[in-house]
Amino acid sequence: MADTAEVATAAGSKDPSVGLKAVRSMRVLVERLEALQVQNAREQGWTWEQIAQLLGVTRQAVHKKYASGRGPLRRKD
Amino acid sequence: MFERFAREAREVVVGAQDEARVLHSPTIGTEHLLLALLRQPTPSAAVLTRHGLSADEVATDVVRFTGSADLDADALTSVGIDLDAVRSSVEAAFGPGALDDPKSKPARPGHIPFTPRAKKILELSLREALALKSRSIADGHIALGLLREGEGLAMKILHDRGVDAVSLRKDLELVLNS
Repeated sequence: MADTAEVATAAGSKDPSVGLKAVRSMRVLVERLEALQVQNAREQGWTWEQIAQLLGVTRQAVHKKYASGRGPLRRKD
Repeated sequence: MFERFAREAREVVVGAQDEARVLHSPTIGTEHLLLALLRQPTPSAAVLTRHGLSADEVATDVVRFTGSADLDADALTSVGIDLDAVRSSVEAAFGPGALDDPKSKPARPGHIPFTPRAKKILELSLREALALKSRSIADGHIALGLLREGEGLAMKILHDRGVDAVSLRKDLELVLNS
């Protein structure tokens, strides 16, 4: 594990290969966390409207992203 | 080729498969052999421990190195995000593997193939046993085969952890000859 000094150096790095990789990984991390949280909310009976409101997006956006096709996020009813 | 393997060496081979499965690896690599070696309650495993290796730490290294390019732990560290910490808290709530790529194929319950390098290590373990005039292959011979093969993720982890391969080899030979 990198020590604090190394982390500080990397965070201040202007090397695009460091910064861009970090951005990509953050995006992937956010996507995975969002999918988990949306699935969990649906399992707990939340409506798309409620989920969208907390995510700061439209109901259509979250519905389109997670409710289309088959899969665990599709509402069973 | 496993007929000459002693019980603890067979356990390493079987253990490596378990390690690969737990880590969602599609193949059994050098790193899984190393992990399986470290989990043995044998004198050879104790030598590895004395040289500063522990199964838990090596497992962490493996996850870090094999974590896919799209979720790069080192890159996240550079912006102050501890992926291990995120993973633990997510898994505490949603279960093991919750943060894994949902599109990646789940590990099949059946057979996991060895990588060519891991296979090579098992072949070299026979040669190490013969060189040490041992009639059977012990787990320590697999460790020697791993050092002899000299490459792969296991060796990278050893190197990164500052393990002296030459002195480790000597200590293993000592234990195996006693």
